[in-house]
Parts: sequence; C-alpha cells; structure tokens
Amino acid sequence: MTDVTKPALASPRAFVSEDVIQVFYRLLAALVICVVLSLLSGSFLHLANILNVLRQASLMFFIASGLTLVVLTAGLDLSVGANVAISACLAGTVIHQTGSPTLGVLTGLVAGGVIGLLNGVMVTALRIPSFIATYGMLWVLNGLTYWYMAGGIVHGFPPGFRQIGSGYLFGLPTPVYLLGAFLAIGTIFAQRTVWGQQIYAIGANPVAARLSGIPVTRRLIMVYVVSGIMAGLASIIFLARLNSAEADIGESLTLPAIAAVLIGGTSLFGGVGTMFGTFVGALILTLVLNGMNLLQVNANWQPLVTGVIVVLAVWLDMKMRRRT
Amino acid sequence: MRRSIYTALTLLASGAMATTAYADGETIAVFTKNQTNPFFQAVRVGADNAAKTLNAKTLHYIPTKPDSIPEQLSQIEDVVVKKPDAIVFTPVDYKAMVPGVEKINGANIPVVNITDRSAGGKFVSFVGADDYSLGLETARFLLKKLGGKGNIVIIEGVKGSLTNVDRVRGFNDALKENPGAKLIASQPGNYQRLQALQVMENLIQSNPQIDGVLAANDAMAMGAIEALDGANVKAQVIGINGTKEAVDAIKSGKLLASGDYNGFLQGCVGTTIAIRTLRKQPVVSEIVLKPTVVTKDNYQPYDSSVESRSCPTWDEALKLGGK
Repeated sequence: MTDVTKPALASPRAFVSEDVIQVFYRLLAALVICVVLSLLSGSFLHLANILNVLRQASLMFFIASGLTLVVLTAGLDLSVGANVAISACLAGTVIHQTGSPTLGVLTGLVAGGVIGLLNGVMVTALRIPSFIATYGMLWVLNGLTYWYMAGGIVHGFPPGFRQIGSGYLFGLPTPVYLLGAFLAIGTIFAQRTVWGQQIYAIGANPVAARLSGIPVTRRLIMVYVVSGIMAGLASIIFLARLNSAEADIGESLTLPAIAAVLIGGTSLFGGVGTMFGTFVGALILTLVLNGMNLLQVNANWQPLVTGVIVVLAVWLDMKMRRRT
Repeated sequence: MRRSIYTALTLLASGAMATTAYADGETIAVFTKNQTNPFFQAVRVGADNAAKTLNAKTLHYIPTKPDSIPEQLSQIEDVVVKKPDAIVFTPVDYKAMVPGVEKINGANIPVVNITDRSAGGKFVSFVGADDYSLGLETARFLLKKLGGKGNIVIIEGVKGSLTNVDRVRGFNDALKENPGAKLIASQPGNYQRLQALQVMENLIQSNPQIDGVLAANDAMAMGAIEALDGANVKAQVIGINGTKEAVDAIKSGKLLASGDYNGFLQGCVGTTIAIRTLRKQPVVSEIVLKPTVVTKDNYQPYDSSVESRSCPTWDEALKLGGK
C-alpha cells in the first residue's frame, strides 16, 4: 500500500526544485513581454502602470486561484464566471436593501461557497464528471441570474464599501494587497499543509490517494467550495470596483481564468502546478491587454494578438522545460 | 425593401376596405436577442404594454444563451408549428437569421422586424433606431460641450456587431466635423463595463490628458467613468442606450449624455404594427426613431422605470419617424 502512495505523495514534495524551475520560466516569459513593452511604449514601465496592471490582474487571479485547486485534482470548474455574476447581483441587492456592506460581502462569499458546495456534491456524491456538473451549474446560474435581474442593473454603493475595489492604502491599490495576501495563503496552503499535499496526491493518482487513507470526497468538496468562495470574493471586488453589476458580467471571466491557470503551468490532468504559476498566468494575460491598449493596437487585431501570444508563451515554456 | 413597401400598400388598401369588426385576443410572438441586456427587457415591456392596450397577448422567445443563432433558429421552428397570429422579430444576427425569416414567411405568418434590420426575408415593416445618427448626434453633443477641441477616446463595442459598426462610424464622422478634436485612441470594450474600465485605466497611463470619451454603450461609459474618477482625470463621457443607470448618472452630473436607443418604443410600435396588420388597419413600411440625446436638460421623461411608461398612440408613433 505504501508503495502505491509513495510516488503520488513524493512528486509534490519535490516541488522545490522542479516547480520552482517551471515557475521561473513562466516568469521569464512575463519579463520578456515586459521588456518588449517597455521598449515599445514609454509609459509602460511607470510605477502607476505597474500598479494598474497588478490591480487588473487581481480580479482574474482571485477566480483563477480557486480554480487552480480544482484543476490540481484533475477537475474543472466552468461555473466560476456565472458564479461571480450571481454572487455580485445578490450581494449588490443585499447592500441596497439593508444598507450594510458587511452583509453584502457575507452574501457574496456565502452564495459563492454554496454554489461551490453544490458543485462538489455533484462531482463526488453523484459522480458526475466535473466538466459536465459545473457546465450544468453554469446554465442553472445564468438562468437564475437572468430571472432575478430581469434585465436590470444594480448600481450605486457606499464609498466605504467601494474602498475594497478602488481604494488605496499607503499608495498601493487595495486589491493589490488582497492579491498579495491570497497569493501567500494559497501558496502556503497548497505547498505547506497536509490538506494541500493531499490535493496534489488526489490529482496525481486518485485511487492511490483513496487507498492511502486520504478522505478524497471531503477534499474534493472542499476544493469546489474554495473555488466558489473565491468567485464570491471576485464578485465583491467587481462590485466595489465598478459600482454596479448586471446579469451578463460573468461570461467574459471564465475562459481567461482557465487560461491563466493553464498558462501558469497547472496540468489539466491534475497533480502538477502552483499558485504562483497561476498568478504569473494572470499577469501575462493582463500584460498583453495592457500593452495592446498602450500601443493602440487596432481593435480588429487584438483577439488575434492575444491568441498568438498565449500559444507562444506556453510553447516556449514547454520547449525550454524539455531542454532542462 | 420594395417588397415590404408593396405589402404595406396592399395592407393600406385592404385596410380601407375592411370594416372595424375584428377579433380581440390575437397572440403575438416576440423574439428578442437575450435576457441580459436591459435594452431587450425594455423591448419586451413595450411589447407587453402595446398588446395589453390593444387586447392582444404576447409570447416571448428569448435564447437562453445570449444571442445564440442556433437557439433562435430552433425557436423559429417551434413557432412555425405553434402558429401565433403574428411575430415581432429581432434577429440575433442580421445575416445568419435570414433562412429563419424565410421559414416564417413560408408559414404565412405576418412578421414585423424590429431593432436590427434583417438582411433578407419579407417583413410587414421595420421599426428601429438609427445607430449611426445616434452615434453622430451624441458625439456632436459632447464635442460641442468641449468647444470642438480636445483629446478624445472611443471605446468600441463588440467587433462586427451591426450596432457597434454604425455607432462608431457616427462617432468618427462627428470627429471629422471638428478638426480641433483629436482622436487619441479607439479601443475595444466589447460592450462590457469591466473591459471598458480596464481599457480606460490603461489609456490614462499613456495619455494624461483626456477630455472626452465616446462609449458605444452605457455600461462601457459607466466603466470608463469609474476609471477616470479613480485616476482623478476630469473628462466628459457619453454613452448610448439611455438606460436607467445612465439617466441616474446624467442626473448626478457624472455622465454628460446618452443617445436614446429606446427599446420600449421599439417594442411598443413593432407590436402595434403587428396587431394593426392582423386587424387590417393601415400600417407603414418603416419607422426609424429620430435620434434623441438624453441630457441634463431633458432627462425627466426617462427618469422612470419602463414598466411605468405607456406606449404612444398610433398617430404619436407615426410622428416618431414614420415613412
């Protein structure tokens, strides 16, 4: 029995060397983009723009960080965007009706968590493949949000609440602090706790993980709940940054978040990847958009440029890794 | 086009001959693009309002996946079997839905085209707003406010969508009339407020002086305003659609103006024409609403929910831009 579990548990343990090298190359890709952009645009390398990029990357990172844990277990959560939309609409309505931002924040987080729990139950107890379960959830949530909002927009929130998304603390935007905090928590959780290591083990070999006594079902449910709560957090940041929400805000969030996870080096087959890699993935995607805006790339060409750079970044990374 | 005028003429002729004895309670199937855009919600409320006033019923067909071509096609197949008395139709795509319209024509159900003009098929008439002149007039209003000069940013909607192409063309033509104004960037926001916010945040980095922002819809205008506020840049912003959120922002002075795309009126008039056709009353081949720019001076009529508004009478509707 121990023979079976050893490789599963051993590979994440060795992350210090292998994963750090992986992340290093991805960081290098991000740096190459930065160097190119700073040569092309004089305003790129300003502190204000760097903070601007970090603030923009934070929303995507919140969604992608929870998703990273799901992907580490070889699962997928396609409902994150729809989750952000419904959580934002619910939280916004609660703030409007009660006047309490605290209740609103709680609503957003709880709504996100409950949706994650339902995903987790579908994947474990009902044994529905995560792709299908969360895809179904995406539609259910869209339907509920459309019905609930009826084409309306919830907008206008108290200034105190808006500080979470658009405020500054000692010269740094608030979301950047949250980004740093969740990056640290996520990294420590995934790499330095037993639960985190169990998640890697489940992704690497679920059968071995179960046989070695890891409570697979509970861990899987936890992973989906965390993904849901992070979507809930993203919904709060969204509300606070944009001062409003409507039913269709989520659609453009899911695929970039999945892309950030994959560009960050997390394998769709599970067991391999890091939180910091996902952060770099979100950073690369944000940098590309920032650069195209600064350089005023024609709107027609922007999707094409994004696609080419994403594919190039991953290809270069894979090539370099094979060489080492 | 000629065909629909011909239809209208025959209807006019038959209308003159018919007596006023018509049956109430017709069913009008109303096709809209999605459940998410407040604009189409306003269309549906307008359609319901007109139907209620005229003692008819509406049946709404909305793709569950926003703007889904296959879904609207299958809804058309469904409706051809169910045979409502008439159809009020917004194509999710003005070209791709032509075969769908031909199916409706084949089933001999009278159909009124609203919002986006279909590239083909036979319609009783067309009711819509003119995106080009809305873009032009709203941009003109902003440029006049700026004295015809300044650094201008355009935030575009979804690439390739009919509304976006025409609105942006209107913006650009207004800029051409004001050689003192300089277009410093034209970037995509895909009609999404988050994307518009980020585009604006990025543009502020490279252009400290921005005087005016022309956004192709209200959600993007509101996103741009958040970015400008965050960076303490004072610029005038306009949007298009005349949503309740935009009207609130105009009232508080955050938004300069919004071009009124008036979905409510389009729903009202389209449905009224469908019902009048069934009752053999005269209709017109086309009503293109004249562009109205909602500003601080005229926002009052828009400062109410669409549910509390009432449809115009037929004579009033004709004055809105009938041909």
